[in-house]
Amino acid sequence: MATLSLPCKHSLPSLLSPNNPKVQSSQASLQLPKSSRSQFHGLRISPLPSLAPSSSSVKSSIFAKVNKGQVPPSFTLKDQDGKPVNLSKFKGKPVVVYFYPADETPGCTKQACAFRDSYEKFKKAGAEVVGISGDDSSSHKAFAKKYRLPFTLLSDEGNKVRKEWGVPADLFGTLPGRQTYVLDKKGVVQLIYNNQFQPEKHIDETLKLLQSL
Amino acid sequence: MSVLPQRGLLFSASASATGPKPTAPWRVRCLAVTTTRAPPASRPKPLSEAATTTSMPSTAPSFLDDPSSLKSTWSHRAWVACGCTTVFASLAKSALLAAESHSLPGPVLAGWVGYILADLGSGVYHWGIDNYGDASTPVVGAQIEAFQGHHRWPWTITRREFANNLHALARAVAFLVLPVDLLCDDAKVLGFVALFSGCIMFSQQFHAWAHGTKSRLPGAVVALQEAGILVSRAQHAAHHRTPYNNNYCIVSGAWNAFLDENKVFEALEMALFFRFGLRPRSWDEPSSEWTEDLIATASTRVDT
Repeated sequence: MATLSLPCKHSLPSLLSPNNPKVQSSQASLQLPKSSRSQFHGLRISPLPSLAPSSSSVKSSIFAKVNKGQVPPSFTLKDQDGKPVNLSKFKGKPVVVYFYPADETPGCTKQACAFRDSYEKFKKAGAEVVGISGDDSSSHKAFAKKYRLPFTLLSDEGNKVRKEWGVPADLFGTLPGRQTYVLDKKGVVQLIYNNQFQPEKHIDETLKLLQSL
Repeated sequence: MSVLPQRGLLFSASASATGPKPTAPWRVRCLAVTTTRAPPASRPKPLSEAATTTSMPSTAPSFLDDPSSLKSTWSHRAWVACGCTTVFASLAKSALLAAESHSLPGPVLAGWVGYILADLGSGVYHWGIDNYGDASTPVVGAQIEAFQGHHRWPWTITRREFANNLHALARAVAFLVLPVDLLCDDAKVLGFVALFSGCIMFSQQFHAWAHGTKSRLPGAVVALQEAGILVSRAQHAAHHRTPYNNNYCIVSGAWNAFLDENKVFEALEMALFFRFGLRPRSWDEPSSEWTEDLIATASTRVDT
């Protein structure tokens, strides 16, 4: 069957280009190491040597607000049962905090189910999994019940925490980004993984890191 | 544009009541749903499965009670004639102008681009119609209703006569291409318009052929399908199978792999959802109106 032969992927519209680091939103595009891939097909953000956590660089304050090696700002959000949950509750064990666009959307469902399917592995690594989106507690409750999610979903109404942590949006700001953070036992970020349209990869990447912690 | 309520009417969780089972088979919405391309030989869903996914009893489509609704009328033929005339006029004018200026490659290339983009256009339109709106939507409501009927009884498109199948597209093409024919004197533009509009107009015929069986199609059509010049039967069959969110293009199908693998439509759906709150039908289990009536399909196989 004849297939469409398109020009080199680098010349495609940037939002679909898998290997063009410039596809990253302005938040980090100038800061990415050359080995980084696009935010649509997997992006590991590692700080450049010149951007140490204690750096007072203007760029780091404008772009990724939470970087690897930093302790992210704490928050208190309601879980699917309406109970307030503070991030410090998880101190002492690794925690996977994954920001996702919305409940009951295809990618987010795949991602949640993938976390659920691998939950035993996360437990074995001593880690907790926490999902965060802008949906309210009742939406989270229905979502968790429908797909039998064993982990906590937090309601970031108004996307305040998302903005504080600097989770980049996709599609020119139309879409809340899909970004996962792995915090170690001390609450320090050890991995930031961004991939909007390959949600299952978040599980692979985070497990890979947890097994090395 | 109104949106049908899309919450899964017939969804049933596959995990047991005893708790999450990592190894349990998942419904399409739960686990990684890979869009399918050129799948293995299609098989109809078992009737037991059809019974669980189709809440409505099997009913033959109303137009089978009135077979004349599948036949071509003189009005249909007239519109197809108009559409064809404008397309051929565009092609002829392009050829004449190219000959006069001794520059054939440009218009030929433009024509090829028109053919390629017609496939993309057919996919975008098809995706929009399949996912948004309903029969009451202005302008395209009748189209949406027709596509809904097509999803319920896919085989009926093979029973429509030629002009009956094409007349709606031919009418649109006639109105849009005529001004170009009259006002444009650029061979490349005319070449592009001829191929683009011609392929769009005939896409319903290509679509009907994609629902045909190899033994009943002309050899030339089968050869074109197998060469990828026309959308293949296997590729289009994948569109009519769960999760019903792929293989939307129906001219050559050349764009399907790219669009599905890069989740272009999923990206558009997410953008529309977050920007306008529009939830596409493909995100939920299809309602009964959009689910294939397998009992009717099976009975037509018996009849034929």
